[in-house]
Amino acid sequence: MDMSKRLFINVIPGKTFLDKLSGTTKVRLFFALIILLIATWDFRILFPVLLLGVAGLVSIKPNWKLIGGLLTFILVVNLFNLFLIWVVTPDYGKDIVGGSTVLLSFNSRYVVTAETMWYFLIRLTKFLASFIVSLTFIQAITPSEMAAGLYSIKVPYKVATIVSIAFRYIPDISRDFSDIKISMQARGMELDSKRTGLFTRLKQYILILIPLIIISFERVGNIANAMDLRGYGKGKTRTYYSEHEETPNDRRMKVFYLLIYLSILAVIFCRIVFPPEFQVWAPWI
Amino acid sequence: MKEKSKLSLLLGVWNTKTIVGVAIGAALFGVLMVFGGIKVFTNTSLTTAMVVVVVVAGMFGPLPAAVAAGIGNVIADLIGGWGFWFDWSIGNFVLGFFVGLLPIYGAKIDEGIFTVKHAIIYVLTVIVGNAIAFGLVTPLLTYLFYSSELTVTWMQALSAIISNGAVLLIVGIPFLFLLANRNAKKTNLTKED
Amino acid sequence: MKKAIVEFKDFSFKYKTQTETTLKNINLTLYQGEKVLILGSSGSGKSTLANCINGLIPFSYDGEITGSLKVAGIETKDASIFELSSHVGTVQQDTDAQFVGLSVGEDIAFSLENRSVARDIMLEKVDYAAKLVGMEDFLVQPPFHLSGGQKQKVALAGILHDEEEILLFDEPLAALDPAMGMAAVDLIDQIYREKEKTVLIIEHRLEDVLYRHVDRIILIDEGQIQMDSTPDELLRSGLLKEHGIREPLYISALKNAGIHFSDTEHLDNIEELDIARYKQSVLDDIKAVKPYQVPPKNELLLHVSHVDFSYGERKVLDDVSFDIHRGEKIAIVGKNGAGKSTMAKMLCGIIRPQAGEISMEGVNCRKLSIKEIGTKIGYVMQNPNQMIVKDIIADEVRLALTLNGFTQEEMDRRVADTLKMCNLYSMRNWPVSVLSYGQRKRVTIASILALQPEIIILDEPTAGQDYHRYTEIMSFLEELNRTYNITILFITHDMHLAIEYTDRAIVFADGKCIADDYVFKVLSNSWIIEQANLKQTSLVTLAKQTGIDPEAFIRHFIESEREERAHGHE
Repeated sequence: MDMSKRLFINVIPGKTFLDKLSGTTKVRLFFALIILLIATWDFRILFPVLLLGVAGLVSIKPNWKLIGGLLTFILVVNLFNLFLIWVVTPDYGKDIVGGSTVLLSFNSRYVVTAETMWYFLIRLTKFLASFIVSLTFIQAITPSEMAAGLYSIKVPYKVATIVSIAFRYIPDISRDFSDIKISMQARGMELDSKRTGLFTRLKQYILILIPLIIISFERVGNIANAMDLRGYGKGKTRTYYSEHEETPNDRRMKVFYLLIYLSILAVIFCRIVFPPEFQVWAPWI
Repeated sequence: MKEKSKLSLLLGVWNTKTIVGVAIGAALFGVLMVFGGIKVFTNTSLTTAMVVVVVVAGMFGPLPAAVAAGIGNVIADLIGGWGFWFDWSIGNFVLGFFVGLLPIYGAKIDEGIFTVKHAIIYVLTVIVGNAIAFGLVTPLLTYLFYSSELTVTWMQALSAIISNGAVLLIVGIPFLFLLANRNAKKTNLTKED
Repeated sequence: MKKAIVEFKDFSFKYKTQTETTLKNINLTLYQGEKVLILGSSGSGKSTLANCINGLIPFSYDGEITGSLKVAGIETKDASIFELSSHVGTVQQDTDAQFVGLSVGEDIAFSLENRSVARDIMLEKVDYAAKLVGMEDFLVQPPFHLSGGQKQKVALAGILHDEEEILLFDEPLAALDPAMGMAAVDLIDQIYREKEKTVLIIEHRLEDVLYRHVDRIILIDEGQIQMDSTPDELLRSGLLKEHGIREPLYISALKNAGIHFSDTEHLDNIEELDIARYKQSVLDDIKAVKPYQVPPKNELLLHVSHVDFSYGERKVLDDVSFDIHRGEKIAIVGKNGAGKSTMAKMLCGIIRPQAGEISMEGVNCRKLSIKEIGTKIGYVMQNPNQMIVKDIIADEVRLALTLNGFTQEEMDRRVADTLKMCNLYSMRNWPVSVLSYGQRKRVTIASILALQPEIIILDEPTAGQDYHRYTEIMSFLEELNRTYNITILFITHDMHLAIEYTDRAIVFADGKCIADDYVFKVLSNSWIIEQANLKQTSLVTLAKQTGIDPEAFIRHFIESEREERAHGHE
């Protein structure tokens, strides 16, 4: 019933090392890692970031039951995608890695090359690392810290407010959603997917959406008034109650993420000045 | 003068009410995307989240609608825990903008104005918006971010186009008519005996 | 010489969307350090008045202002809401909407954040304000698990950062159960005394506000000030009912006994009332009226036997048993989280008992689907907008019939019958959007009655409604019960509802059913009252002071009120 318990993001801050960093540090660190992951195809960078992500995830002691299913799902989806790529262009590694060392061949078209497999490994690493870094971020930050962190990277505070107000009202909206579903069921709506066709279910969905949307937007006026009455939007700047002062750990992490930003610049610089012949580096080429 | 008013219609007025409206829209978007899927097969489900964006547009205009869709997608990523995929959030932002054009062509859901003519234009914006968002923007970003194989990216985009399109048309149109009717004839506020 | 802090001079206001002027030529001066109640029914203009003082008018609501309003010396039509917000702190009615922070601490800090107050100063101020309202142990709590009363305390703390000299409470009791309401009135009074602020309370629940002293009451109706006087003068004036305000119960009870008050008596506080000399009249009156007739019970309809239910570890229903007979009107009371709504969900078949069983007319409900149960037990949600889907009244009433696959003729017949039952037939083709709150409520009840259920369950049917709307909704339900013998369960905190309209109360506390008895017995039992977060009615106080058995006194009161209402019907 209580969907707020099923959310991946936590509202009350946790107690581990990463949890205790400030919102600013968390947001800046997250963006550093994600941009680095997007910017590079170099396994020598990607793999350590993946390990770092895994270490981060383990350190915040997440609920593995919850995360296990999700990890498997992401892995399966990605492997399936790779399989699709192989079906469409079996020798994909030739253009992107720069070689075609055949390991296994089914016929003239369907071959398994070392380069394609290398590319697949890198791509999987890249995706998994992105996923695990975001998951760690989501599990270690509270919505209020995120608003404060976004504000610290010069996102206008009104945008940061959208994020925090949205999180404030998600539990209320989830509760209304299940209440309305219940009342429609009691009036005779069949929600069991085995008993009704897809088209009927789509049409029935409207019956739940209409009241849900009407009562959700009903509160907009009152919320906005409550904010205006306490001076929201008056100043150009804003401070955050949930954003604690920089701790020694925050300062250490600051050095760390600054290094990452520098390495991002280095990676981009290298790619522009010394464009590699092939996008993906491989040790044997 | 008219040019300017169109522009301000596109951008919306960013007062506290709009901010709250966009936030509520994004929250609804996230909740519907994560918890409100309609099962098609065991592992696939259609989401009705995009319909919310149309309502935000009706109240606040296309840019607020687009922001609600973009942030709504990020929120879905946050509460669903499946990691951030900015390429998709930006795609939803673009689609949100197109779908959110309603007040520009005169459909005003919160005042009860939605006619067959509006429905036809709405269908066009859904098709064009979908094509640009998931046929162009998202695959391009996916290619740039992850240097993915384009054919496969397009195949995934195609399924997004089909499911989003289906929901926006099959659920969206009857929904808009009904919602407009629910809001209609609100102007007469004189006390009656 | 007292300093004027709010000054209305020939002030009028008309909303842009309305044709009539909402506030008409208001002349009113409030002085620094006063505690004033602004009393009025819904639509009287009292909330508009409040919004003029805190600056929401004209900031958020467009309209036309004539005349002048000065708050703390500032002419409001020239000032920004931000300027005013540093003088006027507002606690709004909707405790959920005004809680905008993700935790208690953040919400208390909200106005400080907006003013870019440095964090170390902010922490100090938040701690200080939280202690004033007794929420210092909840600072990291998210709002979802707080009660309405706690959320309201947080809202109050959020405006206690010293700058605001006026505290404005807009219907502070609307979202609270009786015990929390009493605590809120007490807390407001305590802050008023300690912090020497000017306090304005906007309410229609007079008796509850008078639990603590107020200096002055401004009665508003039709957008005009009807009376500006001390509480005593107002209570004596007899203007209350005329303007849609419920009289305090003890006043009604004494008036029922034929007592006329002298001009010098203090009526605003029952404790100060010189009751002893009325004792004889009250006793005579009790003898004169025939004793309360307990209505005979019809056949057994629903039998709940030893049901249990837990969400994970938490037991929400623990060995609950009760019976419901056809045609009964029953109040289901208890604090939030005591198990009332879980019980309602179980009766509707949404959740099933983990132990024990429920049977309906002898059939075990376990064998029935939600849909089948839905045709026997209907559930009406609190806010009609949570239920209404269709745009036309008749379509809404038809919806449940369509979902249950009735034939066309059967549907037409039932829709027509139900609409007639609910006095909606003449309006059947009206759009829902033009209906008032009470009419919408009736539409949702009709949409449930179309399935011809044996029992309907109503969740807080009168929450947040003033006396007039309350009477409208409740007399409609009473008529349904009387004419069609429909069994009605009310899930409610409203003690007036229980006293005036139900025969029996089932009381829940911590998942257990702690009482199942006549309303007058439940309300005279102070242990049950405490467990259920109810409040001892002034009738009990009155009875104790006159030395009459409280149970007999409440019973007598119920009987005479019902008699009076029955005469009113003829």
